[in-house]
Amino acid sequence: MTTYLNLMVVLVPFLLITAVFSRITIVELSLPSSAGGADLVEPTFRVEVIVREDVLELGDGKTVIASMPKVDDEYDLQSLSKHVLALKRQNPDSHGASVLLESQIEYDHLIQVMDAVRSTSLPGEKEGEMTSVALFPDISIGDAP
Amino acid sequence: MRRMSRNRAKIAALNLTSLMDVFTILVFFLLVNSASTEVLETPKQLTLPASVVEEKPRETVVIFVSSTEVTVQGERVALVADILAADGQNVTAIGERLSQVSDTILGLSTRSVANSREVTILADKSVPFNVIKKVMSTCTSRGFERISLAVIQKASETAQG
Repeated sequence: MTTYLNLMVVLVPFLLITAVFSRITIVELSLPSSAGGADLVEPTFRVEVIVREDVLELGDGKTVIASMPKVDDEYDLQSLSKHVLALKRQNPDSHGASVLLESQIEYDHLIQVMDAVRSTSLPGEKEGEMTSVALFPDISIGDAP
Repeated sequence: MRRMSRNRAKIAALNLTSLMDVFTILVFFLLVNSASTEVLETPKQLTLPASVVEEKPRETVVIFVSSTEVTVQGERVALVADILAADGQNVTAIGERLSQVSDTILGLSTRSVANSREVTILADKSVPFNVIKKVMSTCTSRGFERISLAVIQKASETAQG
């Protein structure tokens, strides 16, 4: 029994040290290929989020629906996800979205905005329970006009 | 006096069975945890942004973009400052290295990496979008058309209304 215990005492710290607790995951993009000709589809509804230096703009491909200035030097992601959720309720069949950024925006903001557009968490059926709802998971990115 | 000696006797005969039970469970848990091999190694010098996505990384060509330099499949090819200063959408150095990766196939793992025609970009939080965009457009122009961005997984925010 003591030998077994000795083995455990050695194994547990060893495995604890080698264990990886921060997991890397990936975000897949739907990018148009540069070789693949003109992608001419009829102008349908498409969610567009434009990230500017000091403001987030939400559009539907034709007009700007809402513009959310920075609050305390942070992008207002909560009101963005509220607006996106409202758009999803109006267009439940649409999945594509574009995130358009100005060139000096940091990469971190791109990921955060993509998160807000991709899914949101809503209160579930039970009290205090949150469920994640997919909004527009097909995200492509590009330059801000 | 008699009670004290009884207490001492109890401590001396410490029961190790429960401790062993705990250790056994811990060892199995950690073994299973470490058995799920990591496809991507977290580089020390860059901090990835956090996201709630749950997609697992695959074996692909890996591009690191730290705050100073760009590394393709383990080889340093360009500096971020040069990319920022350069005109045009493509970065020649990265493109050449990508073609080199898909041309020189040594061993099975490299073959699967090159044939996947996929790129995973691990970029530092603070890198400007301009650089990422140039790197991505270089990838697509060299035929690597499926691009994934690596992030650190964070727990989905349950507190948010």
